[in-house]
Amino acid sequence: MANIQQISITHLSFTYQHDTNTVLHDINVSAPLNSIIGIIGNHNAGKTTLCRVLAGIIPNMMGGDLLGDVHIGNLSPTKDWSVLNRQTDFVLQDPNSQLSGLADTVADEIAFDLLNHGVDETTIQRRVADVAAQMQLTAQLQQSPSSLSGGQLQRLAIATAIVTKPGILILDDPTSEMDPQGRADFFNWLATIKDTTIFIVSNEIDDLCEIADRLWVLVDGELVRKGTSLEVINQLNPEWQIGTPKVYQLAKLMYWSLGADLFPVNINQLRGCVHDQHSN
Amino acid sequence: MTSIQIDGLKYQYPTSDFKLAIDQLTITENLVAIAGQNGAGKSTLFKLLTGLVHPQAGEIHINHRDLASLTPEDRLKTIGIVFQDPSSQLFNATVEKEVAWSVLQVETDAAVVADTVNDALATVGLTELKDKNPFDLSMPEKKLLSIATVLAVNPQIYLFDEPMISLDWPSQQLVTHLMQHLAEEKHQVIAITHDMNWLAATFAKVDVLADGQVIFEGKPETFFGDSALTQKTGLMTPRIMQIAQEVFDDSRVYLTPEDYFEKHSEKR
Repeated sequence: MANIQQISITHLSFTYQHDTNTVLHDINVSAPLNSIIGIIGNHNAGKTTLCRVLAGIIPNMMGGDLLGDVHIGNLSPTKDWSVLNRQTDFVLQDPNSQLSGLADTVADEIAFDLLNHGVDETTIQRRVADVAAQMQLTAQLQQSPSSLSGGQLQRLAIATAIVTKPGILILDDPTSEMDPQGRADFFNWLATIKDTTIFIVSNEIDDLCEIADRLWVLVDGELVRKGTSLEVINQLNPEWQIGTPKVYQLAKLMYWSLGADLFPVNINQLRGCVHDQHSN
Repeated sequence: MTSIQIDGLKYQYPTSDFKLAIDQLTITENLVAIAGQNGAGKSTLFKLLTGLVHPQAGEIHINHRDLASLTPEDRLKTIGIVFQDPSSQLFNATVEKEVAWSVLQVETDAAVVADTVNDALATVGLTELKDKNPFDLSMPEKKLLSIATVLAVNPQIYLFDEPMISLDWPSQQLVTHLMQHLAEEKHQVIAITHDMNWLAATFAKVDVLADGQVIFEGKPETFFGDSALTQKTGLMTPRIMQIAQEVFDDSRVYLTPEDYFEKHSEKR
């Protein structure tokens, strides 16, 4: 059944142990591997729970009533956790809660997982320097993690996740404490990542529409829309109270349409659309 | 009308090189944004305004009264703050008790306290959660609760430190409307924000800090129109300006998509 090139979720439902509310309701969706999937929705919509299932944290570390199937390629986070866990990294909402707390320096914190994997010292040093440069933490490498700002801690959490080059990266609201420039840098960096399946929960709808291959919209635990950002943003129901990107707001006001009442959601689409209108 | 008058203010943390130095700053508008990069001194300014830290030199006058001379109760009624991290100001066993605790600092009549608590919770939409433990709330709910604790005291001046952070879209709308409503009701509402889209859409006045000094006071339109100044402060322009720049090579000032629409419909 498992398609080796696909992420597929079939009839996924979940209720936490000692709770009666179903947090995820009969979710069915598939997407190609190595794509960037943006997960959007308001609070209590089930975004974090879906991330936990994708990471295998549910049901392996947090219990409850899990129905249905999840496959990422030929592996299932619910059934093949130990194998999948080695190629998956998860960046939690609260960066503090996932740092080892044992490292004296940012460099040691980034190196922590590599040390556990028995990687040789030269490779570790090269990887740490490389990842720190990507996350703009080079100047902080010898500082204590406890001296970092909220945005720097989030970048450190991402650095510790990507240092092992995971094939699957799950990011739960990774930029919530970053300043606008840091956030812009992060999304620009994310767009350059190749050969990695990325799930990202974020409220930054403008940024998601620039980089995500797919958007999944959760409302009260149901997956109410799935598709490209163009399809999804153009089909939002106002009752869901989901923000729209500025490009889309502008295009609607100016009536710059891609035809069939479809409005652009990112800069490239807007450029194409305005170019077409001018040449007509 | 409320006025905040700052003169010759100097503050330096004992353990760092950072210095806040404001020669003169007058805030009289009802809805004001404070912008600036991390470390520019925004939060320090808020701490000085609430009396959490004391300046090494200079004075802060609120409505011509020296802030340092206010009694603790007067100070609570004059100026209240909603912190960036709501967890730092929540510690009671239930949502209702959390708000009641704030009211009890300025009011003793039990019936008045109960009414005030109910009103404050209703305003932020948390009435149904009143028996929950604050720490079981979601982030936006915690933030709304911390706002309710300040609403319940109803100070003359409201300070919001990064109010949009960790809110989802519907709660961002709610908090924005609430702030606008308070400003219309003659309160003074001052918000620190990094969110230039929200700043441009919501505020008519902005004070910009850089390296512990005020380097701009005025309209967001003027600030964003001065590209040398925005670059110097390390702040970004609103997204709509980036779109206009990237797609149309248009470097004029736009605050929102609606502003762009209006400026371009006039010319048609």
